[in-house]
Amino acid sequence: MELVALFISAILINNFVLHYFLGICPFLGVSKKIDSAFSMGLAVTFVMTITAVITWVINHWILLPNNLEYLQIVSFILVIASLVQLVEMFIRKVSPPLYQAMGIYLPLITTNCAIMGLALLAALKNYSFVETVVFGVGSGIGFTLAIILMAGIREQLDLSDVPEPLKGAGIALIVAGIMALAFLGFSGMIK
Amino acid sequence: MPPRSIGEEFTKGLWHENPIFRQLLGMCPTLAVTNAVINGIAMGLATTFVLIFSSIVVSSIKKLIPNQVRIASYIVVIATFVTMADRFLAAFFPLISKDLGPYVPLIVVNCIILGRQEAFSSKNSVGRSFIDALGMSAGFILALLILSSIREILGAGTFLGHQVLGSWFEPWVIMILPPGAFITLGILIALTFVIEHKIKQRR
Amino acid sequence: MSLSSRMVIVLTSVGLISGALLSTVGILTKERIALNKQLEIENAIITVVQGTHTSEKLYEEKDLVVYGSKDENNQLIGFAVYASGTGFQDKIILMYGTNPSFTKIYRLTILEQKETPGLGAKITDKDAFLQFWENKDSSKPLTLRKPAARSPEELSPFEVNTITGATISSESVLNTVRLSLEKLMSLKKEGKLGNEE
Repeated sequence: MELVALFISAILINNFVLHYFLGICPFLGVSKKIDSAFSMGLAVTFVMTITAVITWVINHWILLPNNLEYLQIVSFILVIASLVQLVEMFIRKVSPPLYQAMGIYLPLITTNCAIMGLALLAALKNYSFVETVVFGVGSGIGFTLAIILMAGIREQLDLSDVPEPLKGAGIALIVAGIMALAFLGFSGMIK
Repeated sequence: MPPRSIGEEFTKGLWHENPIFRQLLGMCPTLAVTNAVINGIAMGLATTFVLIFSSIVVSSIKKLIPNQVRIASYIVVIATFVTMADRFLAAFFPLISKDLGPYVPLIVVNCIILGRQEAFSSKNSVGRSFIDALGMSAGFILALLILSSIREILGAGTFLGHQVLGSWFEPWVIMILPPGAFITLGILIALTFVIEHKIKQRR
Repeated sequence: MSLSSRMVIVLTSVGLISGALLSTVGILTKERIALNKQLEIENAIITVVQGTHTSEKLYEEKDLVVYGSKDENNQLIGFAVYASGTGFQDKIILMYGTNPSFTKIYRLTILEQKETPGLGAKITDKDAFLQFWENKDSSKPLTLRKPAARSPEELSPFEVNTITGATISSESVLNTVRLSLEKLMSLKKEGKLGNEE
């Protein structure tokens, strides 16, 4: 039951983009078309899940038992950077169609604060292994949901008459603000 | 392009290449920590510390590092300084550190920092890199100050915790919440666009 | 020197230098950070069980820690209970003090919350919320007063107050306290809270 609550709250209430402001760069950068937004979301969800598992193992088996928690930042960022490289090579070998779909987005993920944020938040909140995995998958889905919704709105926005200064980032941020407002309605649904 | 004077190297970060308003870098911390002015200042100073020291280190060891491993080395250098800032805050300012939560460690993925190493410090002298980092940090702090002042004054009626608006003022709670961050920054970016446009027309 | 050996040397030395720096910083700040955490807990214990002279941790599990409070004469005067539950946005972590038999709640304090500023966040406010939690009778389950009472005198000893506009936050504080109390009762029956009396 608590896991279900954690999962739903990671998607809707504590949405990575709209509540924690993590992953704003891809959220604004890759949200012009629904297909590319979907691929980006897929890639992020995938990497997030693996990151959640690996950083948990590093944190709980290596860092914490040896009182090395001050190495968290360095080790997490290095693990994420090399992980993304490995995933990219692996997917290119195993599934070329999947690589076609999300390959070009993978390198962008290394400096994506959403992935690092996930590792840090899971460590900060002291989640158990299962909780960390559920949190990782849920957060990835939450990111995908937000970026696809954003892309849908922006496709419509292309056809409308936006004032010159607001074009691009300005209107995108205001749309995100209105989405965040709508998502506020989900808070309190889990008691 | 003629080389910039030292003064220009500094001021470009404040306006023409302001990391937030003009380059749209480092949006995550900008949005997340500007719900109160004190958090904005703490974040700005922590980022300044990391940016200045990383720039000095990277520009002084740039000739030693082979091209293939430069990003990895930069990341280790940055992460080292970020950890220092994080531990320092946790040890001496526990309340601020608790408020900022994961956003201090997240400076490590702040695109401003890696971006400046890649675009500037790896190609310029130590002195110039230092001035550049100083300018960029000043621009970042400026943006955080503007955004957090607007949000705190409208959202809580206070500035740095002191009541500035009378009791007649009903705080706009939404300004402290995530939507307020997005909308305020969106409007500010549009405003800087308008001002830039006006400056260009006058020339 | 070949390129690859240069790469290895550079990366190793960068790693070694940063590792050395970090362990220095880590060791220098470690005590101070641990002290901060300890002080926060100790201050909270003194707030919720007034007159505490010494306290010791009696029981610990995820989301529930129990401290026994003793006065100058080494008499057990109550328990300080650290508990957490789901609020409106995120976890609410709180601490409250009870008498040794759990029939009375002395005081409540909120350690961590991310509720809506201006509404749910009022749970940290003494006048708006915490004063309505002072000296409650927990010999039977506490209930929530809705609509909110204006002064603590209006409430019966078994009632706690709601914050207008933030029912969910007030409810989740109450639920967290209620659930942890139930848990404490069974822990006491199992004799896991030390040998008082």
